[in-house]
Amino acid sequence: MTLDQLLTDTKPALSHIYNEDLPELSQAKDWQSKYRILMHLGRKLPPIPEKMKQPSLLVKGCESRAWLMHYYNKHQDQHFFVLDSEARIVKGLMAIMLCLVNGMSNTELKKFDLAHAFDKLNLKPYLSQSRGSGLNAMMVRIKDCCH
Amino acid sequence: MLPFDPVNFRGQFEFFQHNPDWVYLDNAATMHKPNAVIDAITAFYQRNNSNVHRGAHSLSQNATRAFEQARDDIATFVNARERQQIVFCSGATAALNQIAFGLMHTVLKAGDRVLITALEHHANIVPWQMHCARFGVTLDVVPLDNQHQVDQQAFSEMLQRKPKVVSLSHISNVLGHIQPVVQMINQAKAAGALTVVDGAQGIVHDSIDMQALDADFYVWSGHKLFGPTGIGVLYGKTAALELLTPIFGGGEMISEVQFSHSLFNILPFRLEAGTPDIAGAIGLAAATNWLQKVNRNEIKNYKAMLLNQFFEGLKRIDGLDILSSPVHNAGIVALNVQGEHPADVAELLNQQKVAVRGGQHCAMPFFSQLGLAGAVRFSFAPYNNEADVTTSLQALTQAVEILTA
Ligand SMILES: Cc1ncc(COP(=O)(O)O)c(C=O)c1O
Repeated sequence: MTLDQLLTDTKPALSHIYNEDLPELSQAKDWQSKYRILMHLGRKLPPIPEKMKQPSLLVKGCESRAWLMHYYNKHQDQHFFVLDSEARIVKGLMAIMLCLVNGMSNTELKKFDLAHAFDKLNLKPYLSQSRGSGLNAMMVRIKDCCH
Repeated sequence: MLPFDPVNFRGQFEFFQHNPDWVYLDNAATMHKPNAVIDAITAFYQRNNSNVHRGAHSLSQNATRAFEQARDDIATFVNARERQQIVFCSGATAALNQIAFGLMHTVLKAGDRVLITALEHHANIVPWQMHCARFGVTLDVVPLDNQHQVDQQAFSEMLQRKPKVVSLSHISNVLGHIQPVVQMINQAKAAGALTVVDGAQGIVHDSIDMQALDADFYVWSGHKLFGPTGIGVLYGKTAALELLTPIFGGGEMISEVQFSHSLFNILPFRLEAGTPDIAGAIGLAAATNWLQKVNRNEIKNYKAMLLNQFFEGLKRIDGLDILSSPVHNAGIVALNVQGEHPADVAELLNQQKVAVRGGQHCAMPFFSQLGLAGAVRFSFAPYNNEADVTTSLQALTQAVEILTA
């Protein structure tokens, strides 16, 4: 497995999540359905193989361990990420984050406001847990990839 | 002494009136405070607030009297031989740092050893690591047996290496297991070691008689004993406290200061630099005075009953790995849902307003030995009730269902 392949596998998963699952999530009535969907999202992201999970990819500041890999396409000015987490709910939330930022230009990514984006998707309540879950730590790490 | 009445007891915690739909089972992290404590703190600030040990005015003398009365009350609570053996500090962490730093040079010299166990909280690991490394002292760790208890055989063997200090927790904050501290202290003393007990979880479980226990040091945090945050106690035998080099210098702890040198004050002030947490000490004494009015054996039995009900209920939920043993347990259950991360389980419980801790509970080395990402920890207090047990079991069942669907 290479980063290239992972990125290729991640791409259709993300567009599926964006087009199918996010609308479903924002309409889910009870917390049970919401969390079922979140965990389902996490499962859609291809996992980073154990061998590739170098300590340098570990995102600190999470109760659960999470890993981030980054690729920048210079010619097209696009940032791409793959990530993984050992906790499923966190991974689901991170999958949503990834839908929003993957493919962004450097300027777009720098300006990206996670809270605002989650608010627009009616996902604000999930953000309250973001500190503990490491979502913020992951966002900081993603932004650190900007130049 | 009053008999323990669970309904009346819970009624004294306003927190539950403001949070009626929460089940609070994170008591090992911090406990709620009864009105007696909140009222004592409020009354101090409203009526008696002044600095201690320094004012020429009677207001300060009143505050000093209240603060020193708090020390007396706490000394009585744990049956300390002398009042100066109660040193106020900010909590168990501060106390353990003071001890680890304070024994270097006076007791611990390069080449010496300190012995801790594999079941310790970071607060009883990291201070030793920090200071041992700088002073050339070796830190040894007693391993666990396959029941997740401290391996007593290994403990006896490691004592033969003649550690100068043995530091161990009374009750594990991860598993709730009550260590055989009396026996371990006696063995450590026979081997010539100074003994330190981290009583952060132990102090609330049972009444403790410091003279009978006979450890050199016993430390705890007020906030896990129905008291406020920011205050704790470093108890030590007088001779043991005299061995400690103060970690903080400043006002109160000196008897004479010149630019060339200073002379330290007597105990306990020598170890209490700066303005103390006056209201905190008064709040903590209010907690211990309040607790002493109730029959603590009945409290213990009630908590054991809740714990037992909880363990029974767990038997009806499939797919759990229970790490805690029901025997010699102070009211803590650590478990995992097989194949699931504890953070997910804790979050699904949080959604159902059941407050637990999920993760490594400041005991990373413990979990890495077991190869686990952590655990979900349910910890009980005497203000919990049977409804809390039922609701939390239902919530856990629901969480397992969602996770394994
Ligand atoms: C066994 C044990 N030791 C030490 C501590 C540290 O207590 P504090 O953070 O109040 O200083 C705790 C608190 O979680 C504990 O459970």
